[in-house]
Amino acid sequence: MPRPEHPTITFTIDGREVQAPENAMLVDAAKLGDVEIPVFCYEPKLGQPVGACRMCLVEIEGIPKLQTGCSTPVKDGMVVYTESERVKTAQQSVVEFLLINHPLDCPVCDKGGECPLQDITFGWGGGISRFIEPKRHFVKPLELSPLIAIDRERCILCYRCVRFSQEISEDYQLVLLERGAHSYVATFDGHPYVAPFSGNIVELCPVGALTSRPYRFRARPWDIEGAGSVCTLCPAQCNTTITVRDERALRVLARQNDEVDDGWLCDKGRFAYQSFHVEERITEPLLRDGGQLRPVTWERALTEAAAALKRAGEHSAAIVGGQSTNEEGLLLGELMRGALGSNDIDSRRAGALDLDLQRRLAEPTLQARVSDLEFAHAVLVLDADPVNDAPIFDLRLRKGIRRNGLQLAVASPGETSLDENARAIARYAPGAGAAFVRALCAELSGAGDVAALAQQAGSDAEQVKAVAALLRGGGGEAREIVVLWGERLTASPNADAGAQALLELADGFGMRSIEGAGLLEIPASSNGRGLREAGALPNAGPGYADSPSGRDASAIAEALCDGSLAALYLLGSDPLRELADRELWERALTGASTVVAHAAFLTEGIREHADVVFPAEVYAEKEGTIVHPDGRLQRLRPAIGRSGEVRAGWQVLSELSLRLGHDLDVLTATMASRKLFEAVPFYAGLTLEEISGRGVRWQEREAAAALPAPEQAEAVAGELASIDSVEAAERAGYRSVWDSAEVEFSPALEFLYPRRELVGG
Amino acid sequence: MASAAPPVLLFKDIDEPGLATREVYERRGGYESMRKALAMTPEQVLEQLEGSGLRGRGGAGFSMGKKVSFLPKGAMDKYLVCNADESEPGTFKDRELMQKTPHMLIEGIVIASYAAGANRSFIYIRGEYVLQADALDAALAEAREAGYVGEDILGSGHSLSLVVHRGAGAYICGEETGLLDSLEGKRGNPRLKPPFPANQGLYQGPTLINNVETLSTVPTIIAMGGAEYAKLGVETSTGTKLVSVSGHVRRPGNYEIELGIPSREIIYGLAGGPEVGRKVKCWFPGGSSSPVLKEEDLDIPYDFNSLAGAGSMLGSGAIIVVDDSTPILDVAMKTAKFYRHESCGKCTPCREGTNWTVTMLERIDTGEATPMDLEIMASVQEHIIGNCLCVLGDAMAMPIGSMIAKFRDEFEAHIEAARAKRTLGSDSALEAQGALEEPPGLLLASDGSGDQAPGAHDGAPGTHRGGA
Amino acid sequence: MSPRGWDVPADLEKDPATIPDPATTDVPQQLRESIEAHMANYPDRRSAALPALAAAQRLHGWCSPEAIEQVACVMSLTPAYLESVASFYDMLETSPVGRHSVYVCTNISCSLRGGDDLYESFVAAAGEDLDFNVRAFECLGACDIAPMASVDGVYVGPLTTDDVRQVLDDVKAGRDVLPDKQLARRLVADPHANAEEYPLHPPEGAR
Repeated sequence: MPRPEHPTITFTIDGREVQAPENAMLVDAAKLGDVEIPVFCYEPKLGQPVGACRMCLVEIEGIPKLQTGCSTPVKDGMVVYTESERVKTAQQSVVEFLLINHPLDCPVCDKGGECPLQDITFGWGGGISRFIEPKRHFVKPLELSPLIAIDRERCILCYRCVRFSQEISEDYQLVLLERGAHSYVATFDGHPYVAPFSGNIVELCPVGALTSRPYRFRARPWDIEGAGSVCTLCPAQCNTTITVRDERALRVLARQNDEVDDGWLCDKGRFAYQSFHVEERITEPLLRDGGQLRPVTWERALTEAAAALKRAGEHSAAIVGGQSTNEEGLLLGELMRGALGSNDIDSRRAGALDLDLQRRLAEPTLQARVSDLEFAHAVLVLDADPVNDAPIFDLRLRKGIRRNGLQLAVASPGETSLDENARAIARYAPGAGAAFVRALCAELSGAGDVAALAQQAGSDAEQVKAVAALLRGGGGEAREIVVLWGERLTASPNADAGAQALLELADGFGMRSIEGAGLLEIPASSNGRGLREAGALPNAGPGYADSPSGRDASAIAEALCDGSLAALYLLGSDPLRELADRELWERALTGASTVVAHAAFLTEGIREHADVVFPAEVYAEKEGTIVHPDGRLQRLRPAIGRSGEVRAGWQVLSELSLRLGHDLDVLTATMASRKLFEAVPFYAGLTLEEISGRGVRWQEREAAAALPAPEQAEAVAGELASIDSVEAAERAGYRSVWDSAEVEFSPALEFLYPRRELVGG
Repeated sequence: MASAAPPVLLFKDIDEPGLATREVYERRGGYESMRKALAMTPEQVLEQLEGSGLRGRGGAGFSMGKKVSFLPKGAMDKYLVCNADESEPGTFKDRELMQKTPHMLIEGIVIASYAAGANRSFIYIRGEYVLQADALDAALAEAREAGYVGEDILGSGHSLSLVVHRGAGAYICGEETGLLDSLEGKRGNPRLKPPFPANQGLYQGPTLINNVETLSTVPTIIAMGGAEYAKLGVETSTGTKLVSVSGHVRRPGNYEIELGIPSREIIYGLAGGPEVGRKVKCWFPGGSSSPVLKEEDLDIPYDFNSLAGAGSMLGSGAIIVVDDSTPILDVAMKTAKFYRHESCGKCTPCREGTNWTVTMLERIDTGEATPMDLEIMASVQEHIIGNCLCVLGDAMAMPIGSMIAKFRDEFEAHIEAARAKRTLGSDSALEAQGALEEPPGLLLASDGSGDQAPGAHDGAPGTHRGGA
Repeated sequence: MSPRGWDVPADLEKDPATIPDPATTDVPQQLRESIEAHMANYPDRRSAALPALAAAQRLHGWCSPEAIEQVACVMSLTPAYLESVASFYDMLETSPVGRHSVYVCTNISCSLRGGDDLYESFVAAAGEDLDFNVRAFECLGACDIAPMASVDGVYVGPLTTDDVRQVLDDVKAGRDVLPDKQLARRLVADPHANAEEYPLHPPEGAR
């Protein structure tokens, strides 16, 4: 779907000529001329303007009545006044009206100091109030949910929060009740407002009516600093600003990046910062002594770990957790391969995938961007449930459907939160994604027995046909199709078959040659893509380089059980929580002679099985880079002070490697990043400055050409394993992003944890 | 100019038993206009409508034909919505039509939809009108049975679905975009315009919205021909108009008048004027949203432009007469409270302004106001007018503003008297002050029952007094 | 006076109110059929919200949480959405009320003719009788019979305070309410409206 284009026009505002994109709303166009038109209800993220608050009234030559700047598209030659007497009178009167029922309890209001109502009253208000009647009073604050408090006295009825609930997250839980001056924001019959994205309403509220319960009264705006960051708690990697007071995270706000998050956050991303400062955090090195983990010095811990790993030598293996940075993945890979001579390193949860297929899947022309989810003709959500896999994508798809007429198809083993919005839905057996895609390809190409293939996938031929018909469209024209697929599709034992089928599907739609079409993977772990590119794989080095083959995660577990592997290094991973087949991993961890864990939280696998524990950073403490599912390198910078004795991950790995006789030659975080940019050919020439606060997609740089070409001329189809055998693996291996240590250990989110899974709307 | 013998078009035989049935309606010539129109091209029908000069009878008075012509051409779902949410205080004319001659409305809808190319239509009727909605449903069933509504009407190729949709009690749903939201199953909040309903209305599709009386007039226009219809009334206000007269008159009710006759003829001649010994203190010429006029304005011709020229409006054609027994504060209070109750709450000036106005009026009544509050109240009205999302805010601010402007002395006297009463603590003190001609704070309660003998009225011409 | 819910915190023990599960929501068959028939009238099922809520109110006496959940279930909407709609409209009751509604018009035209007194009389006469839902209503569109009331949807007027007892008794007894004062039987006031053979009403001076 063509993205809207806006020619530049010239208009006059307060006597100044300003250039702006045609049809931009006056409020936005005015900013280009450094003119601020005050607003309360206007928020472009919420969709079409509603013109409710009337704060943005301006005078336009040729139009008798004042117009709302939020809803008036700017045209060439328009002459606008925002400071005339008429406008000032109107602005002052709107402020006066709004303050009628506002308690002006700013001294005890959390919003005080960062409050649009305060700012606008100061900037555009009349400075006096003629309202002498008693104000309304209500019990306040009240709980709206475990996360949000509501103060109805302060509400100015701007509609932002209810618009969010109805038009963005589409959960329709938060509404206005009653009418007129009696209107108030509420839920149904005293139910709490619990939904995956509920916290956004706190940030949207232009007054102190909706406040974060975890943040209430923790700080005043002059006590805090904002630190730009990127949330690594799921693959969506939303951009955030962490509110920091005294080196501690007190709050997380959205930092709008339209190519990543559109300015929204899920509740996990918003509230799980609490886990940075909890008792379950590991803040000092630990050593198992007499069956118990006891605090030791770094020196002791490093010495013990180095000795154990040296003993195990090539019989060592490493599991790299999904929140590790690219640099950590790279350094650990080099440590394993260079210092210990082991190729047994894996960052994928799903089992090894043929290197050639990985290279094919990484081809720049095949990659869709996040914004393509919004503007494509059709999107197929395949083997994924965005709200549980990368929540923010759920909102992007809803936006595309609502605003741009995007057509959505969902193919997944179970129900998804987007089913309601999908025009075609197909179900298949868990783990049978590869078989389903084969059936879909057969239907699209007209070659093959669709019914038989559908049956093999545990699906229904009619459903396959419906999905195909939706993707194919009616007109026969080239269509921008995006497939948003979950890494599960390429899970063992059908990893290769899944990838091959997916590539066939992509080629069937001619994705390579269509701008705006492509594949977008949701990796099973936050930095899944970056860690693969950094070479934290058993069958590839940095940049998908050829590498002697090692064991994948489940083979590592088997080898630990049968004694062919001795030592295990866990970088930010607790296999009992994160990896498939818990029972196998119980045995593996028990069987390992040494488990060195580099971990932030003392979860059961670490507590019961680690011999040496290095305290690890949480993302707000880290420095390094990660890669968004669409190939965007994003930069983490330390936002808060490291807890206790926590040291930087790169530093620990570097130190350990040195003790193993291999100098990684990394003395600073910047050196680690530079090493990464040198090690991965298609990152060549990158700098941290270039990545900056918005990130850079490597596919859009010249060095992208350095991605190794596949060795085989054709992708080879693997054998399809029967459904029964994969079903069990699928069930055990899959985790919703809401089922994580950060959710469990954040007091505010504890109420969500038992659910382990969220279903929106 | 108005002719001596008033033409009766909409109210012709309105009380004939059984007129609500298709049988009687057709015996009286009903549905002939529809047959005639369907034999014409849509463009020809539109031409007749435009030629009639018919202006919308709902309140805004916009040219009906023009409105039809605004709908985009081409094959797509287009909607015609009949606004039957008659809620403007003092207005009850559409009620009479729907109850007594529902087929006339249905016939009008079929013709208008043909001209506009609309294929789906709805009558949004206020929920309180149970009898009328039932009458429409019954008539609709008959019309469907006869093939007047449905697929390929009378072989013309024109198809139209029609649903009678009952509201649930909200004045704001009479505002056309509030109506659309309500019809879509939402709260009846008005929408921002543009986009206008003609382009993006119901379900985002092109939508023509017309009032009951407007659509009910359509069959007459087709029967007479637009040009002939345009000869009735005055140049800028053609045709006849139903006027609902209520309040302090001796014969409240609906009257069909030719536009342009003196207002006095309606209030005194038709409706009988106030009771003997009472004078008209003020009157709303077009529902409670119209700025009030005074006795000296009674000779203003009753048409769109003349009333606009006098600073008010014809609105819905609802004349509410207030005689000199009622304090202006009570009128203002009733008016303001109504709009506060009906404000949807979406936009700030209306939501807060109506509420503030009521509280200020209450303070006046309880003796807690000063004359300065009158200035504040007047300025609040000014701050509402023109600054709201829809016209509801203005609908309060204009009449309240007009009352303050035209009855300032009385307001001030009321403020002083009420303060005195509050300070001195007794009614006798108030009376002693003699500040008020009428007791404050009470609406005329007992002397409105109309028991007094009918009497002469000040110089009203008797031509329009039936049975006199 | 605080509207219901202003001062009430959410019950954090409750689950969020999402679209009710048809498997666990019991909807009376007749109500379900009625709502489904309404939904079939519109291109978008949501349009049936008002008629559906009205149907549920007829069954339950008011738009109780249970009634709203039933509508939400059939319409596949959240109960909050429907509650929001219901609370916007005067005729939909979001707290329990008497079975018989008496809407007394107290807007300007009726007030000028005694509507406020009439309302007070109804309130006094209905007293504590839980069968009645006496409400002061905005203009009901019948100023020609001012002061008037809508009794279970039937318009009657002009009423005097002397009629009040009779109205309530008629309702209680299940009788037609004040037949002679029903709007349904009233002829148009316009003296020119009817042909000679039809009687004019009201006859001059009869009142």
